[in-house]
Amino acid sequence: MSAPKTASLTVFCGKGGVGKTSLSLALGLRHALQKRPTVVVTSHPLRELAASVSLAGLKERYPEAADNLFVIHIDPREALNDTVRTTVPSSILVKTILASSVYQSLVEVAPGLKEIAFLSRLHRLADEPSEAGKTFDRVVWDAPATGHFLQTLLVSRNFEQYLSGPFALLGAQLASFSSDATRFAVLPITTLEEMAVEETIELWRQLRGDLAIEPKAVLCNMVSPLARSTQPVEELQAQLEAERDDGAVQFILDRNAIERSLFGKLRAAVPGALRLIERKAAWTTDLDLLLDIAKQMEDFPDDWTQ
Amino acid sequence: MKIRIFVGTGGVGKTSVAAASGLKTAIEGSRCLVLTIDPATRLKTALGIGTAGGAQKVPIEPFAAKGELWAAQLDVKQRLDHMVRRHARAGKLQLILEHPIYQAVARLVGIQELMAIERIGEALAEGYDEVIVDTAPSRHALEFLDKPEYFVQLVGSPIVRLVGRTYHWWEKSSLARLGRFGFELYSQIESLVGVKLARDVLEFFSAFQGVAEAYARESAATLKRLHDSRTTSFTIVTSPFKASRDAGFFWEELQKRKFFVEGLVVNRIWPELAVSARPGATREAEALVTWYRHVSAAHRQAWEHVAAEYSPKIRRLLPLRELPADIDGLPALHQMVQAMGQA
Repeated sequence: MSAPKTASLTVFCGKGGVGKTSLSLALGLRHALQKRPTVVVTSHPLRELAASVSLAGLKERYPEAADNLFVIHIDPREALNDTVRTTVPSSILVKTILASSVYQSLVEVAPGLKEIAFLSRLHRLADEPSEAGKTFDRVVWDAPATGHFLQTLLVSRNFEQYLSGPFALLGAQLASFSSDATRFAVLPITTLEEMAVEETIELWRQLRGDLAIEPKAVLCNMVSPLARSTQPVEELQAQLEAERDDGAVQFILDRNAIERSLFGKLRAAVPGALRLIERKAAWTTDLDLLLDIAKQMEDFPDDWTQ
Repeated sequence: MKIRIFVGTGGVGKTSVAAASGLKTAIEGSRCLVLTIDPATRLKTALGIGTAGGAQKVPIEPFAAKGELWAAQLDVKQRLDHMVRRHARAGKLQLILEHPIYQAVARLVGIQELMAIERIGEALAEGYDEVIVDTAPSRHALEFLDKPEYFVQLVGSPIVRLVGRTYHWWEKSSLARLGRFGFELYSQIESLVGVKLARDVLEFFSAFQGVAEAYARESAATLKRLHDSRTTSFTIVTSPFKASRDAGFFWEELQKRKFFVEGLVVNRIWPELAVSARPGATREAEALVTWYRHVSAAHRQAWEHVAAEYSPKIRRLLPLRELPADIDGLPALHQMVQAMGQA
């Protein structure tokens, strides 16, 4: 008997505002363009709006990719309610439980209950790719910002101390899934800005330390074409000419210097792979921007996402 | 007394904008408190103050300030302990503080927003002319507005009040007095999550009841003031590329909750870059110049776009230019204040 078909999971995490949603959609797009059915699970606060705006026009321009790309938002509380629905046999009882204040207050204070329901839903998408009649090859998780992301992982790991019953089982399944490095790839994203770089270094440390997760690479998003240039600043300066005396040349040199120094700092602190995602200078639609990023992701190694 | 609440998604410089607004107000003569809720913030670095807890006075004399600037970062655990100590019923204090569920409550997503309401309530009593609140990014900032009301409703409901008593009845009478349906419901929940957790939660709730009720009374009064447009206004902070989407999202969400949106700040707009590569420049230099010019043009286009859309809706629209370096101290923050004046 052949092993059941399972999808791989790619997790994009990092500070708020570094581009987790864009890169998640772009990776989804890259897979979909190569005819691999992919679902992007977004925890972005703007929910479906973000995706529908960004992907507007996909159906007209790339109908086949549009057929292979799915974006869903899983509300942790809804995921928990679903678990109750599948566990409790009587639908009348389910209704009563979900409506009861005891249950609602329990959901609010019970540590990690919503988180574990969310993660197990994510896990199910990867492991049973036939949910809702769809078969997915790839699952991409556009994770919440660093603090909440780490909390979600941590709280669901220390769960067995509280639980017995169906949730304890979910916890055990999750633990075995997340310890299988071939099944999922965690890719922290940063921009070359001081706060983001500091937070990324800390995130890298915590992933490897507290969670024993080895990130496959750190992605530097929205960089200028010269982020890794070694051309000395003075040489660069000599080649630029200001049309007015308003500090514009200095502005460019300053920003370029910041990028370079932060890239160096990151490289020194994060010994693994570093990848640069360049910001397209000009674009007409959000979809063009995503397609450009998807193109930049084409040479991502397979073991990141497989 | 005025309250100004700054909302926005991550990475837009919300903390800096909030702190600079506080500095501006203080320079002009107010006694102002900047309260940051975001646990990931670097307000302390931005304001150049130490790490001790509680509100700290920021040394703003160099800017010929007529007022005072105070800064505080929300310490969730400390506020929660403080609240429990103040409100716990006789004999319940130790039980709550040492309860395993209590430890979890302190770490819960959303609890910082509940504590923020409590802290704002305290600030209101401390005689500031203005309180500026720097919220946590995005989703959580709105939870900060939703949760207290939810909590008030929760403890305000007679059915939940029963939870505590139910547990004690159940303990004392071995379920004898609990209705059959209530028992079935409880045992279903127990079999879902396990005996220990269900019992822990009920036990904790029965002890925590008094605290929650006292909290609900206090936060209801504070929430009322947050809904009063004479006292409280909201400012949306965003960056050029996020401006259109963020402004739309927060505008809608705040309207839905009937809050008064006074300002929209588009932060970190690049200046117009009239720079070209000299003849004979390397391709690298040429690419760099083209890239910077394009990005800066896109920034200004994004600003014009949101300004056109929101000027009929929001009274104060403020474009702020990208500053040369990180906001890493008072002088840099003061630069931002000056940019606010020029805009």
